[in-house]
Amino acid sequence: MNVTDIEAGAAAFVDQLRHLPIVRELGAEIDEQLRRCPTQLNEYDYDRWGLHPGVVARAAIVTGLWYRYWFRAETHGIEQLPTGRMLLIANHAGQVALDAAMIGAGMLLEADPPRIIRGMGEYWLPTVPFINIAMVRTGSVVGTRKNCVDLLEADECVIAFPEGVRGMNKLFSERYQLQRFGLGFMRLALETRTPVVPVAVVGSEEQAPAIANLKPLARVLQMPAFPITPTWPLLGPLGLIPLPVKYRIYFGEPMTFDGYHNDGDEIIGEKVEQVKDRIRSMIEIGLAERRQRGAISGIFL
Amino acid sequence: MGSKPLIPGPEALFHFWPFPRGGDGPPVPDVAPDPDGSSNPGDQERPGTPVSDIHYDVAAPADGARTTAAEDAPARMATPGARERLLITGIAGGQGRLIARRLSDVFDVVGVDRVPWEGHPRHLRMHELDLRKRKFEDIFRTERPKAVVHLAFLRHFGADPELRHEVNVLGTKHLLEYCAAYGVERLVVLSSSYVYGALPENPYYMTEDSALNISRTYPEVRDLAEVDTLCSTFLWRYPQIRTSILRPVNTLGYYVHSAVGRYLNLDYVPTIQGFDPMAQFIHEEDVAEAVALAVETGLHGVFNVTGPGAVPIKVAIRESGGIPVAVPEPLARLVLGVLFQLGLYPFPLGALDFVKYSCTIDGSRFRDTTGFTPLFTLRDIFASVRR
Repeated sequence: MNVTDIEAGAAAFVDQLRHLPIVRELGAEIDEQLRRCPTQLNEYDYDRWGLHPGVVARAAIVTGLWYRYWFRAETHGIEQLPTGRMLLIANHAGQVALDAAMIGAGMLLEADPPRIIRGMGEYWLPTVPFINIAMVRTGSVVGTRKNCVDLLEADECVIAFPEGVRGMNKLFSERYQLQRFGLGFMRLALETRTPVVPVAVVGSEEQAPAIANLKPLARVLQMPAFPITPTWPLLGPLGLIPLPVKYRIYFGEPMTFDGYHNDGDEIIGEKVEQVKDRIRSMIEIGLAERRQRGAISGIFL
Repeated sequence: MGSKPLIPGPEALFHFWPFPRGGDGPPVPDVAPDPDGSSNPGDQERPGTPVSDIHYDVAAPADGARTTAAEDAPARMATPGARERLLITGIAGGQGRLIARRLSDVFDVVGVDRVPWEGHPRHLRMHELDLRKRKFEDIFRTERPKAVVHLAFLRHFGADPELRHEVNVLGTKHLLEYCAAYGVERLVVLSSSYVYGALPENPYYMTEDSALNISRTYPEVRDLAEVDTLCSTFLWRYPQIRTSILRPVNTLGYYVHSAVGRYLNLDYVPTIQGFDPMAQFIHEEDVAEAVALAVETGLHGVFNVTGPGAVPIKVAIRESGGIPVAVPEPLARLVLGVLFQLGLYPFPLGALDFVKYSCTIDGSRFRDTTGFTPLFTLRDIFASVRR
């Protein structure tokens, strides 16, 4: 055992978890789903962008436990997903990007065939020790245009949150109000003739309700935001644990767009607005469904 | 090897090692390391080592350039007088020898190097000289080469940085002038994928149009980018001379003195804690084949040359028989910076970026233009440097 190999240590820890009965079952399911997953691996089981199914399996055990037992996530409309390349476009919320992890778990556990979602990471992520390895091995890459085009042309499933941190770090009072969408995803979809799949996540907004956002402190700490929630930073690290809300994930029908990817912002913006409207209406459906179960209990059950 | 590097250097720096180390550094053998000391890699085949002849025959001829080159070869061999004259600079290095052997059936090869090549093939003429000297021009005047392969680069840090810059940049500048003045028709320059630099915001699989960022984080090797840029300018200024600039990825193999090879050959290989970037590898024989294709077909342009694929650097270390040892970055920078200043460590700190961030390139332009297919798999490549 190489003591300096912390990544291998973390992997061994997750492998130990597999002896627990509930993890064993989930692990077997994930292994089976990964076998059916269309990935192109080289002789050492890495894909062109550094994805490794062994690491994906371990990460999926962790996110799968959150997905099944903490958030008790349910998906709707996942059977309408196209095969081959697709661009998942979702709303972003909840202060930490657990919505991406839950969509990822859903795509691996519930989709047929199962898919590994490819995330587009921030430019500074490759400079963070360990995080950069976890990010690359589980299928994400730095969010450059070239990486995205290459992935789509290799028929991968790319996920993007056009609201970015504007959506993720908004206050609780602005919950489920879609923020301004970036236009880049639509240009990429047009250029690579990729179907856009609108995704609405309901539940993420309540996992960490932000009362305030200390922007000056965030600037000092070089973070995108510094949210204050009822539990953070009051309870310290424990305050980072999200509330056990129920996640409802809605996948819309794939939307195909025609047009020139270098058109002006107004033309691209109209197309983006169609996607945004679709996500908004799915959020409304989700919220209505939830209200039927009770104003407060619907959030958790 | 007498002096093993503690840590990697972008082997960028050591694709081949045509020159002996400067007076202040430890001596470096001018022939490839030879475990039993009995064979000279120059003229004898080592059992078990793939040789270029086999390589050549096995090469799946794609329609196009490669087929033409293969068919031309016997015809040219039959009439030695008609063979074109090819000048190879830096011929005594590991890569130079492989290229010379691969091309000596097709061309009338003339070699130039600052060090001798003991036991070079008899039909090949060797000139021992320095590219910066006046005598180099005489070679062009007397030999009148029709084609030139430029490999004479100083790629280690044992010598004075000024000497390194002078040999690489001035040597190349002279060579380009002579090529233009003495009617050279084809020129191939072996640059390196390291010119793009290893930066956190690098996309994967950068194309030839990407910026040459190496000097941003690794100023000690800015001559790599300068040489590449000089040659690109030449390529545009003299369109009648078929010029190709090849940028191969990490080159490994038995003959090349590659720093990445020496790095991977350590028993305990230092890496940076928490980083494990993807790295591409290619076998030295495939690089020789790529150069041969470029010179035979009169390729014109800038081309990335990639091998069979990419793996994380730690996989490469384990596969070539080493044990990766992760060192926290501040500690690595502190210790290695001091060791480099003392001359105990062969690579400047800029080299660390190549084990921290990825620098992967897209080789499809070269593959599509020439029909090149690397014959050596990743397993073959790592096996070729395994102890």
